[in-house]
Amino acid sequence: MMESQIHKIHQQLVNKEISCTKLVQERLDLLKLNTHNTVNSLLDTLALASAAKVDAKIESGQEIGLLEGIPFGIKDVYMVQGTYTTASSDLLKKYKSPYTATAIQKLFAAGAIPLVKENCDSFGHGSSSENTIFGAVKNANNPNLVGGGSSGGSAVNVAKDYTVFSIGGDTGGSVRQPAGYNNVYGFKPTYGRISRFGLMAYASSTDCVGPIAKSIEDIRIVLNAMSGKDIKDQTTYPSETISAATISNTDAIKTVGYFKNFIENDAIDAKVKSDFLATIEKIKAKGIQVKELDFFASDTLVATYYTLAMAETASNLSRLDGTNYGNRIEGASLKDTYSITRSENFSEETKRRVVGGNQVLSQGFSDEIYLKGLSVRDQIAANFEKDFHQVDIILSPVTPSSPPKIGDSLKDPLAMYLSDAYTVGFSLGQLPTLTVPQGTETGLQITAAKNNDALVLKFANFLKDTI
Amino acid sequence: MTVDILSSIKGAKPSESVNKLFDVIKNANKNTALNTVHTNAVTIDDLREDVVIDSPQMEKQIIIANFPKEKNGYLVVSKVIEE
Repeated sequence: MMESQIHKIHQQLVNKEISCTKLVQERLDLLKLNTHNTVNSLLDTLALASAAKVDAKIESGQEIGLLEGIPFGIKDVYMVQGTYTTASSDLLKKYKSPYTATAIQKLFAAGAIPLVKENCDSFGHGSSSENTIFGAVKNANNPNLVGGGSSGGSAVNVAKDYTVFSIGGDTGGSVRQPAGYNNVYGFKPTYGRISRFGLMAYASSTDCVGPIAKSIEDIRIVLNAMSGKDIKDQTTYPSETISAATISNTDAIKTVGYFKNFIENDAIDAKVKSDFLATIEKIKAKGIQVKELDFFASDTLVATYYTLAMAETASNLSRLDGTNYGNRIEGASLKDTYSITRSENFSEETKRRVVGGNQVLSQGFSDEIYLKGLSVRDQIAANFEKDFHQVDIILSPVTPSSPPKIGDSLKDPLAMYLSDAYTVGFSLGQLPTLTVPQGTETGLQITAAKNNDALVLKFANFLKDTI
Repeated sequence: MTVDILSSIKGAKPSESVNKLFDVIKNANKNTALNTVHTNAVTIDDLREDVVIDSPQMEKQIIIANFPKEKNGYLVVSKVIEE
């Protein structure tokens, strides 16, 4: 486990090579001074108080848990009691969480220390972390490029070592794509493995809590800590802890598939294509059988995802009317107050999606768009089921091309939607998918059948040693 | 109703980019044989107990602090839709 940051820091703390207070203070300083626009707010008081407790525990000779004292970041769409939770929006700029999200509470219970609420696209609406009131997130490797989105701040913080791991949220690729753009690991578990309670809802049927980290081992540790059934989220299910031993034995994987039409099309960058195919050859050379699979056209996947996601977000965000919380702006009448509050406080992208959602849900349109979208989703899910009878793993690029320059995505929303072509299908299927920083410039996605999260991590270990 | 009223967003109009996505769905092949039961909803066999749980004091305080409008020590909510 040499590459695991969590194990390494844990040992340093236990051996008293570094105090937890010093560790936390150093990372807070890095976050505060950073020029990548990753920070919406720092949790310095909370972090330093928690660090002092960990130091006292070590000093008195008590044992500490593996995650105890490990500093991490939280996408600013998670409730953390008493802290600002803005969703990078004007509407919730001054909103404080009354309670803490289950996934985050579980990390607190394990002793992990929260440093920062991280910049992202407002309400998760975007693929570049430019739709935010806190300034566009800049890519970790090249500040002229976007950090990816919507969990851009989280991926950049991990890539720059400002946080040891960060918790993003993935609805259509929002953990996997920024992980790919910044060359780190980002995992979208099976839908329902981690509770969504306290994660601000974007599209409830695909919203997933997802860890971002620098190693497979760290993803495994954080995933285990957050998983489990939660009575506050009725879509959660009980799952078994994934042990390090389970995912180190990579013999079980016999067949890998990939979607022919993802690779054989005009939209994919030539280099991404050749790098992907070179990876496939290396896998074949290890004696694994590789199958080409048929799948839905990219535009069908993107259109199905956005139809359903917009419908769900229009419904989820209807509560944001300035009555119970948020930056209420008074109008001449109650309805006027609602619409001024929403018009003035939502980003252009959020408005576009809310309007699109209401379009497809409105009478006369729902049959030919929304209900048809649901039906196509069922066909996509059925297709995955058929595929996983033939192969253990599906491998895919993360994105068709490299990260765009800051400013470009805002000019062309349709191009931004289409750039999600490789991530949204797995979201609709509610499958476990991991971005690994290997294989192409923006990484590879490893996907397995529902609830087969361990197999994904296992194959990632295999790839790490293979390519 | 028009989308600006449905969305409570002043002057909102459908977007061309989004309409292009919807056109893809409209034109997608419909598999008429498909009669799948939607499995994305919650099953009713395993619902949580229908009991009222009192919120901790801290939670109540923050909810009150977040409230935009107050009058004579009361939180102001809308009376009725006016029209």
